[in-house]
Formats: sequence, structure tokens, C-alpha cells
Amino acid sequence: MIRFILRRALAAVPIGVLVTLGVFALVFAMPGDPLRELAGDKPIPAAVLAAKRAQYHLDDPFIVQYLLSMKDILTGHFGTTFAGADIADQLRLRIPVTLKLTLLANAVQWTLGLFFGIYAGFKRNGWVDRSLLLVTLVLLAVPGLVAYFAAQYLFGVELKWFPVSGVLEGFPRSYVLPALVIGVLGFAGLARLLRTSIVETVNADFVKTARAKGLGEQRVLWRHILPNALLPVVTFIGLDLAGMFGGAIITESIFNLPGLGQFMFQAIKLKEGGVVVLLSTLAFISFILINLLIDLLYGVLDPRVRNV
Amino acid sequence: MTKQGEVLLKVDNLSVEFDTPRGPVRAVDGVSWQVRAGEMLAILGESGSGKSVSTQALTGILEMPPGRIVSGTAEYRGADLIQMTTRERRRIVGDRITMVFQDSLSALNPVQSVGTQIAECYRVHRGMSKRDALKKAAEMLDQVRIPAAAKRVGDYPHEFSGGMRQRVMLAMALALDPDVLIADEPTTALDVTVQAQILELIAELQAERDMGVVLITHDLGVVSDVADNVVVMYAGHVVERAATAEALEHPVHPYTEGLLGSMPSAELKGRELPTIPGTPPSLRAIPSGCAFRTRCPIAIDDCAAEVPPLLTVAPGRDAACIRRTSLAAKEAV
Repeated sequence: MIRFILRRALAAVPIGVLVTLGVFALVFAMPGDPLRELAGDKPIPAAVLAAKRAQYHLDDPFIVQYLLSMKDILTGHFGTTFAGADIADQLRLRIPVTLKLTLLANAVQWTLGLFFGIYAGFKRNGWVDRSLLLVTLVLLAVPGLVAYFAAQYLFGVELKWFPVSGVLEGFPRSYVLPALVIGVLGFAGLARLLRTSIVETVNADFVKTARAKGLGEQRVLWRHILPNALLPVVTFIGLDLAGMFGGAIITESIFNLPGLGQFMFQAIKLKEGGVVVLLSTLAFISFILINLLIDLLYGVLDPRVRNV
Repeated sequence: MTKQGEVLLKVDNLSVEFDTPRGPVRAVDGVSWQVRAGEMLAILGESGSGKSVSTQALTGILEMPPGRIVSGTAEYRGADLIQMTTRERRRIVGDRITMVFQDSLSALNPVQSVGTQIAECYRVHRGMSKRDALKKAAEMLDQVRIPAAAKRVGDYPHEFSGGMRQRVMLAMALALDPDVLIADEPTTALDVTVQAQILELIAELQAERDMGVVLITHDLGVVSDVADNVVVMYAGHVVERAATAEALEHPVHPYTEGLLGSMPSAELKGRELPTIPGTPPSLRAIPSGCAFRTRCPIAIDDCAAEVPPLLTVAPGRDAACIRRTSLAAKEAV
């Protein structure tokens, strides 16, 4: 177990180097000058410009800039953004926002996905099952951006059920609308996967054995079918959870939630390589952690993959 | 050898159909047999002959739909399993009548320890506590001769070899000391030496408990080793019913004869093994009259006229072949 975790952690190091290097290179390659972007139309004195450029090592070669950024991240000296905000403070304020949004959205998605998936799987070809297929196709066809704006307009601006944007009304009111949209857009895939997995498992021989043992339908479903049908779903949930951060960039920007995603968006706009790499590293670490957790959970659920 | 035990399970005129997009298909047609306490009855037939479907239908584990019981009764000690409510049937199937399946790797739940799966029988049917049930499960593993049984109750199915896994299946089926054990091709997935061990074990455990065993198989060798009586099925029909020794020595139905002829034996060494010409008919296109007539060496035009009835040719011997039953009847006169 410990060996397994250590091996995973070690394997993550080279991948981490590649990911951060790649992200940094992409930011570096973006056109435009960060300081001019920040200043807008106002002219900046050449001396100020030069001082700022030196402060952020903007004139150093790419690899030096990268190494300096990585040194800052690894030693915990995150420094300030180009606009002068303390990055460590920013993280402290923003991480809870993103966590709240992501967890709430996942709660919505899992609840809907598990409920409809299980129901449709056990009552195949019933009306819930059939409508689920239709709903899935529709939801998969709707681009996230359209759904976010449409929901914001309909429920925020017109019906005024939820705040249009911002976090002034706190948790959970400010988070409900974006979380609902993310959850509803994402649940269909989960439900379909679970439904298919259940339908496959229902025909397994061991289910026949369970029936031959004279077990009641409920016991067959919950003790024999579900534990097996959930296995592929666990993997899906893990990947999905890890991918939530990417989605947060768009959602937080649209709903003006001051989380990591919005921070990332601003940093990319300003070409702030250091911040982008820092956030990418955070995302990467959480990705590795979540996957590790999922693998451990998978081992608990499926004895066949233990000690691998 | 005739067994005089009580008739435990009596199947009468059982017919099962499957609804398919191209209309109903009859997989089992008017099948009757019975098994007594202490008797081992073999149901012999090739794949698709309806041998498994008939037992799955009467125990209620057949997927219905698409399956459908068209007619027939299956009486356990006089109570018809087919007419029973599911709730009533569950008290008998899994408790007094239990089953063992062919492929133990897929027939055991892969994510539950074997102990838990055996213990489930005691928990559900006897309401035992988890601890007591697990203790009984370990005892059962010991009874089916699994070495270090107490240590292995917590192991998972994939951690056992094929033969050991089939023993686990047996332990699970015999946990509640059933009256009837239905073993559906219990040795098919195993290699020959292990096959013999499992059959021996079933026979031993049967003798200890005086239970009736229904052994479903396509292997004539298996039948001759352990079965008291044999029911031969072809395309959903019972074509011959006899004591094993008699069926093997003097087969009446040409299909049984063909099966016997195609068994490898020392006498046939070096020669090509005889086979029954042709293939079993698709259930969609069963020949009119006798289903076997297209492959039968002694078929005559009359065979196509109607389905030959299962007639008694001698005490305890029935066959469904107009050529043979009429012959035997003539000889008897």
C-alpha cells in the first residue's frame, strides 16, 4: 500500500516537470506584452517599465524564467501578481470558492447521475430509460457556454431566482446556479455509463447464482449487481472530478466567482507565466491525488486489482 | 439399480418458449422427469437441447421475458413451483432445491469473498448472525475438502483454482442441506482429472445426505460414471428415459445410440471416431414429426408425420421413436 503510493508519487515528478514546462512555454509563446496589457492605453515611463521587467525577470531567457518560477513555487515564495496582489493571499481567498463550486456541482451531478443511472438500469426500456437517452443526446449537444449564459439570463436576469453573478450572497445561494448548470450538463454521461454497466451486469452468471440462492430482488440488486456495476463508474467519476478545474475557468469567469478558474483566466490574459504555471501545478497535483485516491478506492471495491 | 426413495421433484409436460423478434421459439417441449431422494438423474443432451432451460424455468431463474412457460408443472413434494408466487418459491429454491453452475469464475460474485457468499445462504434463509454464518461457511468449505478452509473463507473467487472454485460453488449449494441439487454442467469447465474429483465429491456428499441430484451434462462419460438414471434430450424433447446401465448397453432411441457410438474407447483406437451426421436443428426450424429424423440412419417417411410420443418399451424405460417402440412392442407380443 505505502509502496504503491510512493511509486505513484515518484512517477508523478517527471510528469509534473513536463506539464509545467509545457504550460510555461505556451504562455511564453503567446503574443503581446504583459506590462503593456496591464497599463492599457496609458503611456508608461521607460524607467518604470524597465524596473518592472527586471522585477518579473521578463527579459531573461525562457528557461531561466521557468526555473525561477519553479523555484518560487517549490519554496513557497509565490510573490505578487503583475498588478501587485499577494499570490499567497489570493490562493487563500480563491481556493475555497473553487472547492465550494466544484463540490456542489459534483454533488448535483453524482446525485442525478447515480439516481437516474440506477433507475434506468433496473427498469430498462421504461419511460425513464428512454427519456434519459433523449436527454443525454440533447445535453451532449448543448455547448457549455450557451447553457451558462442561457441559465444566467433566464434564472438570474429574468426570473431573479438566483443572483446573476458574484459571491455577495455567499454560500450556497451564489453557487447554486452555476453548480446546477454544471451538474445537469454532466450528469447524463454518468447516468448512461451506469445504466449500461448495470444492464451488462444484470446478465452476468453470478446474478443467476444469486437468484438461484433464493435471494430477494432488492438484495440481488444492491448486494450483487450494484457493487459490480459501479466499478467502471468510479473511474469515470475520478476523471471527471479532476477535469472540473478546467471547467471552472469558464464557469467562474461567466458567473464572476472569484475562484482559481477566474484567477487563471486573468493570468492567461495578462500573460503571467508564473501564476499560470503555479495554478497548473496545483491542478496537476490535485489531479494526481484524486487519481491516487480513486485507485485506492478501486482496490477496496474490487479485490481483483488489489496489490497492483 | 432402482431407488425407492420419495419422489422429490416431479416435472410434468413442461414447455418453455422464448419470444424473439421473429416469433416465439420453443426450447423445451413437453418434458417430463422426476428425481427421488438418493437418486442421481442425468439429463443428457447437446447444447440447445433445452436441458438447462427446463431446470432454469422451473426454479424461476430464467429471464422471463423473453422466456415463457407455456405449460407443465414442476412439483416439489407435491407443491407446484411454477404456480407458486415468487415469494413462496424463494423459500424452496435456494433452500430445499439448490443449483450449481458451469463456469464457477463467472458464477461467483467477483467482489465478495467466498465466505460471505456462502454465509449469505444462512443469513437469508436461516436468519443467522454474520459471525455464526461465517463459521458455518468455513465448515462447509471444509466439507467440500478445501484445504485450510478456515483460512480461506476470506479469499475471493479469483484466488481459487478452477476445481477449488467449483468446490466453493458446491459448498454454497449444499450449505442448507437441500433435498435436491441441480448441477448444471458442473464439470464442463474443468480438466478431466479435476472433473472426476468433483463428480466423486458430489456422489459422496449425496450419499451422506440422501438428496436427489439432477446432473445436467452433455458428457456421456460423466453420465456413465455416476448417474442412476438418464433422460436424453434432443431439440427440446425427451427422446429416451432409462436406467443408466440399460441405456448404455441397449440404447433404444437412435440418437442415444449415435451418442454412444461416438464415444471414444479403447476398442476404437486408431480408427476414425464415428459421429452423428449433420448438426442439431435450429430451434426455429425443427423438422416436422421426429426432430431427429433428418440425421437418423433408420428414418422412414412416417417419421415426418407426427412427433413420436414417449412410450414405455420396458419397465422404467421410455423412448420416443416410432421405429423402435413399435418394434419393441412387437417383440413383446
